[in-house]
Amino acid sequence: MTDFVVAQFVGLSAALLGIGLFGILTRRNFILLLIAIEIAINAAVLNFVYFAGFATGPGGVSGQAAAVVIVGLAATEVAVGLAIVLALNRQRGSINVAEATTLRQ
Amino acid sequence: MSLEELAFLVLAGIAIGTALAALLVRELVHTILWISVFFVALSAIYFLLQADFLGILQLGVYAGAVTILLLFGVMVTRKRIFSREAATGIGPFPLALALVSVVILAGVASGLPTQPASVQTYAPAMLSQELFTTDGGWLVLLGLTMLSALAGAIYLVREGRE
Amino acid sequence: MDPVSWTWFLPEAFLLGAALLVFLLDVLGVEKLEAFGAVAVGATALSLLAVVADLGFTPLSFLSTLPPSVVDSGGGATSLYAFSSLGLVFQGVFLSSALLVSLASLSRPSHEKGAAVFYGLLLMATLGMMLVAVSADLIFLLLAIEVTGIATYLMVGYTRKDARGLEAAMKFYIIGALSTALSFFGASLLFGAFGSTNLLVLSQGLGGISNHSLALVGYAFLIVGLGFKVTLVPFHAWAVDVYDGAPTDVSAFLAGGTKKMGVFAFFLVFIGPLSILTVRAVNCTGTVCIAPYDFRPTVELTLGLLAIVTMTLGNVLALLQKEMKRMLAYSSISQAGYMMIGIAIGTAPALAGATLQILAHVFMKAGAFLVVAGVSALGVGPLIAQYRGLGQRRPYLGVAFALMLLSLAGIPLTVGFVSKFILFSAAVQASTVAGQSFFFWLAVAGLLNSALSVFYYARVLKVMYMESPDASVPLDGPAGDPTGGLGYGRSAAILLAVVAIVALGVYPQPVFSAIQAAATHFVASGA
Repeated sequence: MTDFVVAQFVGLSAALLGIGLFGILTRRNFILLLIAIEIAINAAVLNFVYFAGFATGPGGVSGQAAAVVIVGLAATEVAVGLAIVLALNRQRGSINVAEATTLRQ
Repeated sequence: MSLEELAFLVLAGIAIGTALAALLVRELVHTILWISVFFVALSAIYFLLQADFLGILQLGVYAGAVTILLLFGVMVTRKRIFSREAATGIGPFPLALALVSVVILAGVASGLPTQPASVQTYAPAMLSQELFTTDGGWLVLLGLTMLSALAGAIYLVREGRE
Repeated sequence: MDPVSWTWFLPEAFLLGAALLVFLLDVLGVEKLEAFGAVAVGATALSLLAVVADLGFTPLSFLSTLPPSVVDSGGGATSLYAFSSLGLVFQGVFLSSALLVSLASLSRPSHEKGAAVFYGLLLMATLGMMLVAVSADLIFLLLAIEVTGIATYLMVGYTRKDARGLEAAMKFYIIGALSTALSFFGASLLFGAFGSTNLLVLSQGLGGISNHSLALVGYAFLIVGLGFKVTLVPFHAWAVDVYDGAPTDVSAFLAGGTKKMGVFAFFLVFIGPLSILTVRAVNCTGTVCIAPYDFRPTVELTLGLLAIVTMTLGNVLALLQKEMKRMLAYSSISQAGYMMIGIAIGTAPALAGATLQILAHVFMKAGAFLVVAGVSALGVGPLIAQYRGLGQRRPYLGVAFALMLLSLAGIPLTVGFVSKFILFSAAVQASTVAGQSFFFWLAVAGLLNSALSVFYYARVLKVMYMESPDASVPLDGPAGDPTGGLGYGRSAAILLAVVAIVALGVYPQPVFSAIQAAATHFVASGA
């Protein structure tokens, strides 16, 4: 049995979410956006894993199951994102979100 | 402070540092390197929590597959590959928003028990039991997302005949 | 609750089967759009009939596989799905939008590339929405939203050669992934606070770290994450660019269909029998006890304010638009505000009003986007000013479009009037309860906004009827085509939407009483 402090884990996931949000809101390169989103999703996965450990109820293990599923989902999302960016790259030769300006009036 | 707690703090520091570095370094390829270290650090944290299966999954899917996928993306969209686009300038609003969310969560964290508590561990058999029986619907839904992702993504990137 | 049987999912099975068939035909080299379209239209129609049968429409009962005892019986502590009659009504709403869009898309160019992917993803997205309607578990709910999400990101970009569509897909994807991350983060905090992701367990507040502020932050993240899907105002900016850049038939599906999925997710999490807002009893596990705690007032106020801001900003910005699709997109944002009124109030009449509003919105907004798609296929430009003389040159099409806009504005004898009337009177009614006078202002804000919205719809009507046609635009379509270049599928879809708008506007009683019963069940079983 190992002992941990819950507060430290919440702090870590808060920091990771903050970094992820910061990246999503400030970066303009699509690959960096993908990475920032992955960091934010990883914060959620981390939450599920340690809360499963600290759970007192009967459903604790479902947290780990949720983490497994979310990891799979995130990988799917990255693949879809790259497909979109490759298609756009073929059109444009640029993957800069800021340059995707046809839609702006 | 127990050895495990110390190990956690070190790993948490590495995770935060590499996540920041990944978003702030100037070269995209370096970004990929940093993010892979980040994934490995998280995986180590899972091992520390004795969530072995999650640790291995994190290594395989994130540190392995996702990193390679991202690297592949960088390689294929080759334009200006080794240099970052011109810095976009960090607007004050997004920074504030991210900061506020962290501050609120940190506030919540400070209200949580600070006494070390023992963590429950689950045998992989238990996890698979949960994953394939009680929560089997989750996996079905994951399969459905993958089905549409597969069909759509292949169509998007395959060279058209027209 | 009976043991779960896979046969209960017959309507979903139709959709999945059809999607697999479409993908299979594509791999086998079939390239005819009509073939995929026929499969999609057939499957959505069959599925719609099965859902109507499940709702207790006896003439169709041979299609119903859902035992009546299961409906509205709530979920168990470990079950992932629970069938509520309101959920079934929403399944009907989702299927109607899918049916309209798949019907209209039959009129796309016959050998268009990507028809298989378009129809396959349309079916998958509809399947995801159907599963949202039967969720009883937070993770299941978010994953079902994601099934729809992934399919719709790709649908927006399915034209592949069209850079505008791909850009819209990229924006949609980024926003969608961000919303996913935030929703799952919120869910994880709720899991931490209460030790489960099952909505029933969450509503009882068992286990976990039992920390209320942790739960409240979890709700906040969930509201933000779902708010992106429903285009609530601080999280709305993407919608206009995406609806504008996407192929117009896909915009019709996004505005008419997938947005409602987010609304139902709000219903499920914050109002229904499994509402997690009220920890109802003292629960003890081991040495930790949770006192009863009511999150409702806080969340109610938040959602109410978001509703007001959403309607107002959506309407004001719609007023300023010069392009038809962008105007419709902003109007769609303001309509989300009306739906949020029902969620903030959370009584059975308000819920029924919001549900009728949502059903109406499918026909009004999806219908309007389908008309725009047809008109632009004729060669009319994107600007509202370019619609001049449409009413004179194309009388039938003009009347159909005018009816949709009038219904959106809430003019009597259309369904838009009925639903708004019910919704606002439910708000006034709820405000008479002590301490809830805040709801009165929701009704006032809704009324003022309806009045405001009349301006921009009337402007379109003025352009269509009062200004002389632009002779250079071939509005009449090719000679000898009885549909005037619209195609049979699109004409049928538009006709269907118009019939629904008028029929529900003149005689809403049968449908509305079904909705009312469903809403009453939905709220009552949770109290």
